[in-house]
Amino acid sequence: MKRKTTLPAVFLIPPLIILAILAFVPTIAAVNIALQNRELSFPNSSYVWFANFIDLFGDRRFVNAIWISLIWEVVTVTATLVVAVLLAIFLFETASPRMRSLVSILFIIPVMLPRVSAAFVWKFMFNPLFGLINYPVKLLTGAPIDFLSLPATALASVAVVDVWQWGLFFSVIVLKLLETLPPQPFEAARLDNAKTWEVHFYIGIPMLAAPLISLVFVKMVESLRAFDLIYVMTRGGPGIATETLDMYAFSQGFVEAGKISYASSMAVLMMLATIITFTVLWKWVRKWQ
Amino acid sequence: MAVKSKSPTAKLALAILVFIAIFPIFWVFLNSFKQLVDIVSTTPKLFFTPTLDNYIYVLGRDNVQHGLINSVVIAGASVLIGAVLGIPAAYAVARYPNRFSDDIQFFVLSLRFLPPVAVAIPLIAIWLDLGLYDSRTALIITYTLLTMSTIIWLAIPAFTRVPREVEEAAIVDGYGAYAVFFKVALPIAAKSLTGAVIFSFILVWNEFLIALMLTTSDAKTLPIIASEFTLLGRNVPWGILNASVIVLSLPPLIFVGVMSGFINSALKKKD
Repeated sequence: MKRKTTLPAVFLIPPLIILAILAFVPTIAAVNIALQNRELSFPNSSYVWFANFIDLFGDRRFVNAIWISLIWEVVTVTATLVVAVLLAIFLFETASPRMRSLVSILFIIPVMLPRVSAAFVWKFMFNPLFGLINYPVKLLTGAPIDFLSLPATALASVAVVDVWQWGLFFSVIVLKLLETLPPQPFEAARLDNAKTWEVHFYIGIPMLAAPLISLVFVKMVESLRAFDLIYVMTRGGPGIATETLDMYAFSQGFVEAGKISYASSMAVLMMLATIITFTVLWKWVRKWQ
Repeated sequence: MAVKSKSPTAKLALAILVFIAIFPIFWVFLNSFKQLVDIVSTTPKLFFTPTLDNYIYVLGRDNVQHGLINSVVIAGASVLIGAVLGIPAAYAVARYPNRFSDDIQFFVLSLRFLPPVAVAIPLIAIWLDLGLYDSRTALIITYTLLTMSTIIWLAIPAFTRVPREVEEAAIVDGYGAYAVFFKVALPIAAKSLTGAVIFSFILVWNEFLIALMLTTSDAKTLPIIASEFTLLGRNVPWGILNASVIVLSLPPLIFVGVMSGFINSALKKKD
């Protein structure tokens, strides 16, 4: 297919121009708005340059939101991957091929739910009056626990929903990956009397290192999209115990104050942080493939 | 092959896992057919007299019908535009590699790194200034970024998997570059491409944050409407809430089989 043709230009240039406009216009606008003092309720605005950014670093709610977001990332990414690998190994070892393909379909159902739905499903489960999770709690202790209203349990409870969606989904992917591995190294190890966990820990997982690292990367990107869960389940509460960066930017720019410039300066910092982090990580991940 | 330990314990553990995965959804499904007294009972009720009242209420509300139409129009249009522009672009990247190919792929992927809130906040200002705030057009254009980049990213491997020899044979038969795309590559890759298109539909149908920030009444999509049922008065209408969750979740769940097949073919053993 080395002949001269207009196809690549015709097929590529229009979509790329549209994508570039759709991506760069909001990005540049975000920077532009962040340098002003625009508020949704006032028509006039002027440039204040870096005042918003300076304010941000004195804003304890912003610093709190950074921490909550970092904790959220670390907890959900780690828990998702651990759950996925353990479940996949369990299914690989115990379930028949037919059972596995049935379970594979069932386990991708949670991740396909709209996050709003998933959040409601578990909000019902956690409900202190009639939630199924509180039913055994009430039997044991006599009183329900309002998981979503306690600062100590709120973030963890929301994280359960995220891991329920993504851990189960990734377990299906890891299971399929395990099934593609050649059986010989496993058989050799078993002949040497290796225990099941040793076989997987020393042979299976190292052989899957490259795809597993890609999954970590995908989950890191997707964990940034937890807004829907938190919005429906806790609205950032109790207090600011589950207020992530996007939740705080949303409430500053939209709900409480309409301080769209202030919110935009947060958005710009988030954008810089994620683009730099993920670009560096991606280049590093590519080396493993 | 591996020694299978089909002990009763393993079977029980598997049953519990499947229970955790599915039962919360099934429970919402059951509750959506219950009267309020059966939902708020102190002991969970598995058996009850079913009622359709919750669904009749949800589907009868104007804002739900309006949200449903908005969701269908917005998701449909943005997926269509994304597919029409994205699929040919993916083919060009897959079959006509040039020195920018890697950069193009990375650019398309990097769009996924943008935090949605960072796109939504400036777009509030942009759409307000253009007079398009809270319109379907604004959401369709915004979502096209999402659908087009997703479709390009997923369609590139779909075209790479088309056997090169088939396309070369078509060229020998006198097909031009465009004919090879439309008559050979497109039909062969159709199944994987359908998976990619449906995946982007699910993403847009489920999208919440951008829709929440870019709409206030006219263009509200179904996830936003569903999230607002908690705000109805003092008494939380649990049955109605359960029914609205089911209505919202049905469209993506219809495609569970398709997506499962898509994952299988993407992770198939490479020969």
